[in-house]
Amino acid sequence: MGQRQLVTLILVFCGLSYLPPGSAQPRQAAADLASGRGIFTEISPQAWNPALAAHLLERAGFGGTPEQIEAMAKRTPQAAVRQIIFGETQQKLAAFDPSPIDAPGMDPFPPSRPATTEAAKRNGRALGIDVKPEGTRRMQPVTNQFFYWLRSSQLETGRLGQWWANRMVVTDQPFVEKMALFWHGHFATSEEKVRDVRKMQQQLTLYQTKGLGNFRTLLIEAAQEPAMLAYLDAGVNVKGAPNENFAREIMELFTLGIGHYGELDIREAARAFTGWNFKGLKFEKDLSKHDGGTKTVLGRTGPFDGGQVIDILLEQPQTAEFIAEKLYRYFVREQLTVDARASLGRLLRQKNYDIAPFMEALLLSRDFYSAQGEHIKSPVELAIGTYRRLGVKSLPGMPDFNATTGGLGQRLFYPPTVAGWPSGRSWITPSALVARGNFVRDILFPDIAFIPPDRYSPDPQIREVARRINRGDEISRATAPEAIPGEQSMSIQMADRDEDFNTRYASLRGYQLAIQKVKPILRDSASVEISDLMKQAQAKTCDDAVDALLARFLTVPISAGQRTELVQWLRRELGTDQLKIAETYMEDSLRQLVHIMLSLPEYQLG
Amino acid sequence: MNHYFSPNRRRLIEQGLVAGLGVPFMHKSMAQSRSPGASSKERILVVFELSGGNDGLNTVVPYGDDAYYRLRPKLGIARDKLRRIDDRFGFHPAMAGFERLYKDGQLAVVHGCGYERPSFSHFQSMAWWQTASPNSGSQNGWIGRLADSLYAPGVATPVVNIDAAQSLAVAGTKHTPLVFEDPSALIRQGEAASQALLTGVAQNHTSLPEDLAFLRANARSATDGAQAIGEAIARYKTPVDYGIVPTQLPKVAALIAAQHSARIYYASYRNNAFDTHVQQADVHSRLLTYCSDAISAFFKDMQRIGRAQDCSMLVFSEFGRRPRENNNRGTDHGTAGPMFLIGPGVRGGLHGAPVDLNKLNETDNLTHTVDFRQVYASVIDQWMGGDSRAVLGKGFDPLKLYT
Repeated sequence: MGQRQLVTLILVFCGLSYLPPGSAQPRQAAADLASGRGIFTEISPQAWNPALAAHLLERAGFGGTPEQIEAMAKRTPQAAVRQIIFGETQQKLAAFDPSPIDAPGMDPFPPSRPATTEAAKRNGRALGIDVKPEGTRRMQPVTNQFFYWLRSSQLETGRLGQWWANRMVVTDQPFVEKMALFWHGHFATSEEKVRDVRKMQQQLTLYQTKGLGNFRTLLIEAAQEPAMLAYLDAGVNVKGAPNENFAREIMELFTLGIGHYGELDIREAARAFTGWNFKGLKFEKDLSKHDGGTKTVLGRTGPFDGGQVIDILLEQPQTAEFIAEKLYRYFVREQLTVDARASLGRLLRQKNYDIAPFMEALLLSRDFYSAQGEHIKSPVELAIGTYRRLGVKSLPGMPDFNATTGGLGQRLFYPPTVAGWPSGRSWITPSALVARGNFVRDILFPDIAFIPPDRYSPDPQIREVARRINRGDEISRATAPEAIPGEQSMSIQMADRDEDFNTRYASLRGYQLAIQKVKPILRDSASVEISDLMKQAQAKTCDDAVDALLARFLTVPISAGQRTELVQWLRRELGTDQLKIAETYMEDSLRQLVHIMLSLPEYQLG
Repeated sequence: MNHYFSPNRRRLIEQGLVAGLGVPFMHKSMAQSRSPGASSKERILVVFELSGGNDGLNTVVPYGDDAYYRLRPKLGIARDKLRRIDDRFGFHPAMAGFERLYKDGQLAVVHGCGYERPSFSHFQSMAWWQTASPNSGSQNGWIGRLADSLYAPGVATPVVNIDAAQSLAVAGTKHTPLVFEDPSALIRQGEAASQALLTGVAQNHTSLPEDLAFLRANARSATDGAQAIGEAIARYKTPVDYGIVPTQLPKVAALIAAQHSARIYYASYRNNAFDTHVQQADVHSRLLTYCSDAISAFFKDMQRIGRAQDCSMLVFSEFGRRPRENNNRGTDHGTAGPMFLIGPGVRGGLHGAPVDLNKLNETDNLTHTVDFRQVYASVIDQWMGGDSRAVLGKGFDPLKLYT
């Protein structure tokens, strides 16, 4: 929320006189930042005001309501930041309620469908399911089971995303979730490759419980999470046959950043990580596959194991700078100078890589408070922030959270690559902007053609196979592609060459089995009354209504001309300037007004 | 098969229509075949990116070189399985589409493309290919700079990037590319009463903060192009089979068929799909099938609507893979790899010097024989009628890749 709107809001509340925005302090902070000196000059208690409190709530969490902002503004900045980072809560948040999808014989899950059917061919059994002694499609049940697990893990991951997002909406400690989201992007793994919701959940728990702790602990535990080991192929990194993927990403993406290591360092580090693997949901070091020989990594030589290599990486000033810069860009702004980067890195090392005290300094810095409106909200920040500002009591099931944020480029548990999500302007494309507006429309005017994505296959081929199976077609006929003879693509021709099983039918059965087991997501719509928000703000006229909504939702001011347009529009729609007169019917127009406001480019900035 | 097409395809089959008879679905003007060698103003460039580092050695296989089988004892593809090009090279067996295009003289393979001091990071190397500035930084992409150099500011959208996020390659200074993945997302929902204000959000304002100006430019781009694009794609019907895994190419075809203003399309086989460190044979084979199917289908589709002569496609990946297979039946990040140019205007055949498998460098990798910017330069100068020296910042020896 911008100072201008806030001051307007205060004006509405208390009749205080209007003060122009932009104190001298942010400019001084910018100068401090440019020089790299004094980047951590603390914000003074005298300068503390509702606009700065709103900024803190927005960036360290997902945005506050006017009431929360008011309460935060009454503290000192030091107390406010301590509350955000270290605050205790009496709130009891519901734990994730897993669906009963586990089945015996699923662990370890084979890397692919061919690996599954080959194992079944070899052993007469795979995934806990026997091959039929004779007859056609002897391996069909095994293949069905393969697709069952893929689908149920995927659907269950959707539920996990919904659960986490709900937590972001309702929690008293949004900073914990915001940090967890940071680490999820930093130590990125995707269900797409991990294919095991239990691993994804366990990893999230690590970020939620230790995300404010020590980076060394977090790095080691994150690197030893089965989700990470599976995602970066650690299991195949063995003595005599090192695989570089894991070592490369640890250096490039988790610690040093590109340009601060050589190819030889990666090869040598890969040897140190040999033998790292997992069994079920536990890390396991297989000493028989570990290369105990001498390695040279970043100039240090010894018979290192993975943990020692991690310590070598943490000794490098570059690691501290890399992590500190990433935190700065996530919480403050995209741009920073080389000097500022160096002093941030020094601070993180001074704090012994402890995240909480580092963040305390960052969130108290004048520099942080000079960055209002300089952040393009990520899709998750946008969605959660919108719900929190609307004051909902829980995350609605409509529109679907995962589909919405996924469509905007940020689906939880599905970062696009090992580098996590991009940030800043990368979020914005013409269609993403339209989709951001449409999301708000969907909250306020529920879609009566809504189809729950956890019960409906988006794949027209599977739906077509189901239709044909249901009308009694033989499996081979039901699953035959409908391409034109002679014009068929090679991939279609190849899809069904093995007669021991039918993958298309298995895909259908897998879907059906998964839907039987995976619990549904409640599809309630957002309980919001904009009229009530107007009453809370004691808005009496259309001007008041527009100002109250601007104050509640926007950080960056809109022009006076735009504001006038909104007021005139509302007056026209209501047929009066007086909300009292329109009280019984104003809700619809207010909803449209909120939709218009939240579709503004300005709303994308926080 | 792309789901945008499934209902229509069903209807087509029920009506007994076959490929080539899809013409009734189009405007007459679109169906007229054009004379070959359309002027560079009408020409279209499609860039198709294979993300993750495609294994070039198992794409255009140097089966005539024993060193290949020495380096690839498990992953090497047997001579008799290959789709032979000549007595040294053959396409991967999964690439029927590429083989057909090659035999028709519409596919150019450029051997050994890479650059000096290569990066082994996906993100770094891809950024360097996208900006055409290895080992240095650039805020703009080569496609963005090309569009800036060819088209005056204010002309209708010259660049369309079909992806969830904007590629660095299309970032320029004069034009805001239209970026979308789901065309229905371009349609702004809202009641009649609020539409004027909803679409009015993109009005010009002076002296805006940088981020806000950027947001407004994107909002304007959506307002300008949205409706037409959404409708063109929803309306588009083709009997051509693009294959089992959807790529963005049918959307490109739809926009070309609708005579959209764009001259350059940028799409990606994304999410690092080609990063085949482990058990790569099956997955690489599938990936090549999907791409080769989709690309050959695209040209079949362009042929069908009479626009093939106007289209050229560039296919690349951010690096090749290590010549020596690893012990997990996969390959690690490497250096040089082949680039492909496709289309009736292309000089089909093999270009550039093949890499030397017997002379690996100190990182056990190939030494590139062609700087990828030589290929960019050829496309810019010979196809798009641009000035490669201006776009790429310096001159690169072009290869003769177009007829």
